[in-house]
Amino acid sequence: MTIKTILEANNLTKSFGSGTSEVHAVDNVSLKIKRGELVLIMGPSGSGKTTLLSMLGALLDPTSGNVVIDDKNISTMTNTGLAALRAKKIGFVFQAFNLLEALTVEENILFPAQLNTGGILAAKARLDKLLDRIGLTNRRHALPNTLSGGEKQRVAIARALINQPPIILADEPTGNLDSHKGQEVMMILHDIARDDGCAVLMVTHDPRVEEIADRVLWLEDGAIRDRKSEQHSWVYDPVCGMRIDEWTATISKEYKNQKYVFCSQRCLERFDDDPERYMTKSM
Amino acid sequence: MIYWSIKTLFSEPMRLMVSALAVAVSFILVIFFSAVFEGESDQIVAYLKKMDTDIWVMQKGVSNMHMASSMLWDWKADKIEKLPEVKEVSAILFLNGPIKIGGKDWFAYIIGLSPKYQRGGPWDMFKGKAIPGPGEAVIPEVINRLTGVTIGDEIIMLDRPLKVVGLTRGTFSMASSVVFVSHEDLGDLVEAPDQYSYIMVNAKPGVSTQSLIKNIKNEVDKVNVLSNEDFIKSDWTLAVQMGAEILRMMTTIGTLLATLIVAFTAYSLIARKKQELAVAKALGFSNGSIYLAALCQSVVITGLGLLLSLLLSYTVIIWLPLVIPQLNLTVRLHHFIPLAIIALPVAVVASLIAANTVARVDPMTVFKG
Repeated sequence: MTIKTILEANNLTKSFGSGTSEVHAVDNVSLKIKRGELVLIMGPSGSGKTTLLSMLGALLDPTSGNVVIDDKNISTMTNTGLAALRAKKIGFVFQAFNLLEALTVEENILFPAQLNTGGILAAKARLDKLLDRIGLTNRRHALPNTLSGGEKQRVAIARALINQPPIILADEPTGNLDSHKGQEVMMILHDIARDDGCAVLMVTHDPRVEEIADRVLWLEDGAIRDRKSEQHSWVYDPVCGMRIDEWTATISKEYKNQKYVFCSQRCLERFDDDPERYMTKSM
Repeated sequence: MIYWSIKTLFSEPMRLMVSALAVAVSFILVIFFSAVFEGESDQIVAYLKKMDTDIWVMQKGVSNMHMASSMLWDWKADKIEKLPEVKEVSAILFLNGPIKIGGKDWFAYIIGLSPKYQRGGPWDMFKGKAIPGPGEAVIPEVINRLTGVTIGDEIIMLDRPLKVVGLTRGTFSMASSVVFVSHEDLGDLVEAPDQYSYIMVNAKPGVSTQSLIKNIKNEVDKVNVLSNEDFIKSDWTLAVQMGAEILRMMTTIGTLLATLIVAFTAYSLIARKKQELAVAKALGFSNGSIYLAALCQSVVITGLGLLLSLLLSYTVIIWLPLVIPQLNLTVRLHHFIPLAIIALPVAVVASLIAANTVARVDPMTVFKG
């Protein structure tokens, strides 16, 4: 049986500025993602990963080329049509979690359901299953400010799944989590692809995810390129001990003439609290 | 989105309360101006109301006491008194003018009382003598409280010194307090010792006011005759008309102020929640539904402000005259009707600024970690 392509980009280009100052943030990118696939977009900072993700998520118009979602070319759609498409076909997971502060866990998850057929009432049955799946059934009435980073991200994932979209777009979903919580989140996203048949497209710097991904797209200067293995430069996060590719890492700090690379903002914060402790550990 | 907007609003109760209070203050400002104005207008006709007469007779062409001048020969009062339908007549000499009390000029209704007549004098004495004799005056007790001038002290009516012999209640107004002097002093001052300004007429039982008015007009030349109700109405309307422009201006200022406050509050709420709005947009909510949420917040703030203004107005209006005795405040339900009517447009206009912010929210910002 042929697995259906759910997300397709054809010669996608996004340029900013004009004339001599014109920059191609994404340059002639074509890709196809099938249901059930977990695809990573990796690359150095400023390589155009987020811009590409925004265009694939119908949030940004391409300068040229087109995006096809579930057999529909979205380049001809109106803003209202695009909003409706996002509500039903795409689930977003963000690095900063982006939960709504005044709403409880349950209300946050149900928030996009009002845009789907059947509304909140129809989504309530799915809500219980999702809460169970992310292990937050007993925290359903908690407010986001009482949750840990990992819990927040699990709520964000449940929110992305409530309308049962065929596509999940995740932007650095483990960026603000420590290695243990990051691992948990990765496994949930992995299961979503495998068990629910969602196409999961993830922008990440976390090299461990490569192990569970079906494909890795390497973006450099806005274009997809082959990544050579010698471009890896493995170092270890001094706080959590995670192996990180220094070349692609975004969080680093210079301390006493030595560069330290971190897997997440949280590890950096811990390092800042007591650098000497972690320096000793890393030596 | 509406649920989100309400929950977001109420998740910060202090902020909401401060916003609603700010709106309430601007509404109270409008109510306060109306209350002061209406209180003053009521006080302007207080003298007429308290005289409780059936008919007022005045110079032809005159139909007011407020800001008016009327002169009638004293024999006209005698002539009216002799009419068979008349039970009782009283006459006063009247002047709208300043009186210097405690070194300050007070614009007053100066009522010249003749010993010949029983009525026309103070209706509620605080202290001292009610009917002043020559060289004497009876002033409002509020002026006594404000200036310290009391019984035995001297005041100046135009250029004539008079001695305070009594203090009255219910006669003070910022626009025109009622000061009682003798007919002799006032008549001498205005060079009209044999004249009156207004004649109060009471009909005998069973005589209709209208027939007596008609009869007086037939019997006495060059007079205008009005029923008590018509005379009060005429003075009250004049007083209201005089302040209507100021009142309209104050109402406009208060409304603009309320609009600005609601607009600022709605805008700051929306601006602070930009990231959440970007999330909503990314998830598929339209600009329209987000704008509706902003409008909803404006309506709630304005509605709460209106409600608070109603509650606070009554509290303030009971309490304020105790602290500031010169204030005559009257709050009536009709003061709130224009506010209730303008509250919704205020909310809509105020939310337009927030709408502009909503339209400019870039859903791409959700990717900024």
